[in-house]
This record gives sequence, C-alpha cells and structure tokens, in this order.
Amino acid sequence: MNRLAVALILAAPCMAQDARAIIEQVQRRASVNSERYEGTLQVFDAKGRTSEKRWRYDRIGSAGSSKVVLRFSAPAEVKGVALLVINHPDRASDQWMWTPAIQRDRRIALQDRSTRFFGTDFSFEDLEERDVDQYDYKLLGEETIDGAASWKIESRPKQSKSSQYTQSVVWVRKETYTFARIENYIKTQLARRLNYSNLERTQGIWTARRLEMHDLRRNSRTVLVLEKLQYNAPLKDDEFTLQALRRES
Amino acid sequence: MTPRILIALTPLLLSAQSFTQRGFLDLRTVIYPETAPGDSGRAIAESLLRYEASYRFTPALRLAGAIDARADTHLQTERDPRLDWQDRTLRRPALSIRRLSVVYGRGGVTAELGKQFIRWGKADILNPTDRFAPRDFLGVVDNDFLAVTAVRVTIERSGNTLDAVFTPRLTPSRTPLLNQRWTLLPEGVRLPDIGSRYPGAGQFGVRWNRVGRGFEHSLSFYEGFNHLPLFDAARFERFYPRLRMFGADAAVPLRWFTVKGESAWFTSRGRQADEYVQYVLQLERQSGEWSLVGGYSGEYVTRRRALFGFSPDRGLTRAFLGRVSYTIDTNRGVVMEAAVRRNGDGAWIRTEYSQAFGQHWRATAGFTLIRGDAGDFLGQYRRNSHALLALRYSF
Repeated sequence: MNRLAVALILAAPCMAQDARAIIEQVQRRASVNSERYEGTLQVFDAKGRTSEKRWRYDRIGSAGSSKVVLRFSAPAEVKGVALLVINHPDRASDQWMWTPAIQRDRRIALQDRSTRFFGTDFSFEDLEERDVDQYDYKLLGEETIDGAASWKIESRPKQSKSSQYTQSVVWVRKETYTFARIENYIKTQLARRLNYSNLERTQGIWTARRLEMHDLRRNSRTVLVLEKLQYNAPLKDDEFTLQALRRES
Repeated sequence: MTPRILIALTPLLLSAQSFTQRGFLDLRTVIYPETAPGDSGRAIAESLLRYEASYRFTPALRLAGAIDARADTHLQTERDPRLDWQDRTLRRPALSIRRLSVVYGRGGVTAELGKQFIRWGKADILNPTDRFAPRDFLGVVDNDFLAVTAVRVTIERSGNTLDAVFTPRLTPSRTPLLNQRWTLLPEGVRLPDIGSRYPGAGQFGVRWNRVGRGFEHSLSFYEGFNHLPLFDAARFERFYPRLRMFGADAAVPLRWFTVKGESAWFTSRGRQADEYVQYVLQLERQSGEWSLVGGYSGEYVTRRRALFGFSPDRGLTRAFLGRVSYTIDTNRGVVMEAAVRRNGDGAWIRTEYSQAFGQHWRATAGFTLIRGDAGDFLGQYRRNSHALLALRYSF
C-alpha cells in the first residue's frame, strides 16, 4: 500500500468529522430563540408566467426541535391559509395545513412531502428544518460560489430520516459560515437547487435575504425575499399549535 | 383607571391591536339544459359579496366577523334587505351576519363565543361526525356551510385536544325551496310552505382528538337535534328530530397513501327518526401536481322508522366517492368530484376548471352531471345537471 492511500484512509474520518463540524457551526451561528419575517415569493414557471405570494413566517425553538407557522397574506384568495411545521430532532417533521375557507386542518402525510408547497418550487419537505444529526456528511472540497470561497459538503439522510432526496450537496461560505447553495438529488438526478444571496448581518447574524429555489425538472423557479426580519421576536410557544391556527382564522 | 395609567398603557394597547380583513365578490351563472316540473328557470344569476374582518384587542382576545350580501334572479334570496342573524329563513337572506364571535386563547385553552364555524371529522366529501355544520342546500349538490351560535371551549395538551360545544338553539340546514327544481313535485302541483317546527332545547357535543406519532384519531359525542329535517306529511311542516351520535374518526398515513376513516352511530329518542350507522373509508394521496381521494361511504340502518325527510348526507352513502385535482400551473387547475351509488342507481359528477388572473381575479367554468333512477336520492335530480360560470374578485 503506498503512502498516498494510507494518507487518504487516515484522512477520510477526519474530513467527515470536519464536514459535520462545519454544518454544526452553521447551525450554531444561526441559533436564535425565535424568528419572524415577511416573505415575498415570486414564482416563474417554464413558460415565463409569474405569480406572487406573500407569507409571514414565525419560528420558535432551538434548531432541530423548532416550530414554524407560515401564514399567507397574499394573494387575496389564499389569505389566512397557514402551515404548521413541528420539527423533531430524530425524525421527519409533523405538518398541518389550515384552510380558513373550509375551517379544516389537514395533516400533510410523509408521502405527500415531495409535492410542491402551494404552487411554489419549495416542496413541503424543503420547509422542514435540516437538523445536523439527521444527516451524514462528507467534505468534497472547496469551491467559489458567487465570489465567496466555500466548502463543498455532501449530506446524506440517515436511515431514520425519511426524505425524497437521496443526497444533497451543500456549499458553506467560509467567511460567514452560512449556506451559499444546496443541490438536492433524487437518485442521481439533480432535482432542486437552492441559492442563498443578498447576505446581510441582522442582529449580529449573517442571513441570506434572497433565496432562489430552482426546480430543474419543471424548469421553474421561486424567489423568496425576506423582509422585516427579526430575530428573538417575542413569540410564545402556544402560538404554534393547531388551535392557534384555528384561533387566528 | 387614572388618565396617567391610561396614557402609560396606550403604546402597549396599540402595539397589541391588529386589524385584518379579506373578502370577495362572486358573480356566477348557473345554466340548466333541461327544464324541471314547476320551475321554468333555466338560467340563474347570483352575486355574493363576503367581507370578513378581525380585530385583536390583546394577544389573547380577538373579535372576528363576516357579513354576506346576496342577490339573485330566481327568488332564492330574500328581497327584504334586513340583516339576518339566525339563518332560519327558507330563502337565503339578502344581508346576513355570517360570523361574529369573540375568541379568547391563552396557553392551551381557547374559548369562542358567538356565531362561528365548527368542523369535526377527518374525511372529505362526507363527514358523519360533523354535527355542528349545517349547510345551505338550496342547490343540494352545490352547498355552503352555515355558522352556528355556540359556546366552544377547546383544551389542548401535548397532542390531546378536548373540544366541548354548546349551542343554545338549532341552526337548521336550508332545504330546497318547495316550488323550485330541487324539490321534486308532480307537474302542476304547487304547495304552500307553512314553515318549520324548531326544537326549543339546545345541543351539546364533545370531541377528544389525539395526535400521535404519525397518526390521529378522535372520539366524539353529540346530543341534540338533526339539522336536517323530517316532514310532517299531514301539515307539510319541517321538524328536526332528536339525535344522539357516537362518533370516531382516524387518519393514518402509510407508505403510499393516507387512510382516513370516519364513522358515527345515530340514535334518536324521538319515535320518528331512523337509527343507523354511517361510515366513510377513504384513501388519499398527493403525487406531483395530482391530488387523489377515493373511498366508500356506507350505511347500516339499525332501526327503521322511515318518515319522509330531506337527507343529503344519507343520500351520499352506499356510494363510491372520489375527488381528483390537478394543478396545471401556478394559475390554473382542474378538479373533479364524483359520487356513484353502489347499485348504479345514481351518480353525481362535477368537473371544474379555474384560472387566476393577476392577484385578485379568478374565473371558474364547470359542469355538474347528475344521472340515475327517479327512486334514488341522486338520480331523482337527473334533470338538474347544470353548467357553471363564475367570476370572483378577492380582496
């Protein structure tokens, strides 16, 4: 066995550890008690048609076991439609959709998570939080994304994690420890690409204020712009329940 | 409270206040290709203006209201513009309070008092356990929910929800008008409507829902009156029989689809109403742009007392039910719903195409096909297949 092979074998676990440490650092640096923003979504389909939606995003809790409520405020016909996401550190999230017009909530089943969320290019699963413990990581190297030196990391869901994606490739900016890009694969096909841009420091946390999700199979894309972003907003745990969804309608 | 304290509290109160509103103006035309006995109308134009608003006094206290203003060309809507609260008129009121309730929520407890919507059950198309959900059945197959005046207290604790409801007075479902096409009378026969006999007592219901790891199930109980009427043949008067319900529902997501089941056993202390078990079993799946729901609704009558009545929920039993929707793109979609009786005696199929224009407008075109035998609940309306054209401006 030559020296290079030995070095690679010895380095492999070390690089895997590094990759995980990088993702942990990303998670740690973005750690807040709560978060609130107003999002504007522009959907561009393959034929150039566009539509615009707006939602308010509220999140509470620590990474991996947080709770999220997304509530649409536009267009007018979907005003009040809401999604409750309860993330779990050890398994897939629980999700419910509330439709005020029929006063009913509907649980989003695991097998339905690969479908598009309300005509956007985000799937229900894309709205889940990616907890560091639910994936295995491997450092693939370094690349420059939008002019920023970044680590390129492969992440594969652990067996306990139910996911539509076989693997993801994640780019993390070295300077700010923030995501630059995520490419999600189904088997070997690149299905969705998420680009993070317009990096700004808000309350001491580097945050991408523009997210662009590209569905490569449909050739459509959705741009999400974060406005009125507020970390550690005064949110309460009881605002993140099914009853709270009903109360607010 | 002194002025100084009030001044000090003002910023706090203002920051807690919030006002939200939404609504729509819906204009639609329903076209019936066939005439029906006693009703020469082939085209009906309807308009509905709905305005909903809510005001938050404090983070825990909110007032929610909605108002409907209607007009139509077929005398299905009252011409008197008085503001209606009770929803007991035979025709749709021209102006009505659709909802007006005070909602108080703190911790895991929510209390709502006033006119409100209460939905129970997990199945689609047919919900046997949904006892506080009367509907406007003037068009039988095209129906909308009516609110009930109620006190509702919901307690939610770690996946368990206990829901208790009391309504002091019955809100009945609105039944088809006697001398229009959705009431089937022999040619030339016209009957005067001498009204309804409403019960004097209230209704009570309680439901326990458990959200487990990957499944949900509920048990429910209802004691009160059926919101669907029986008819006193001698006086041709509607009355609402006593009803007691023991219900259960569950939703279990599996690898390929979600299984939903809902069942209720109905008994009655009155001597006129049937006693029966109703159940729905359905599979649900979303795949890409497709949403698929298919199932079967059944009924087993344990005691038949069989008076003449209007019962669209039972009319949809012993039937295969389905709904398929497909999202064409960000603005367009099609949906098809169907109920086909097991014995083939009746079928109802509705297909709708809708398209949004910009942020506010949506146009819908659809066709409802009804076929079957005269003796079947669905089949009796076979001359009422109709086309729909609708335009909605949402704000």
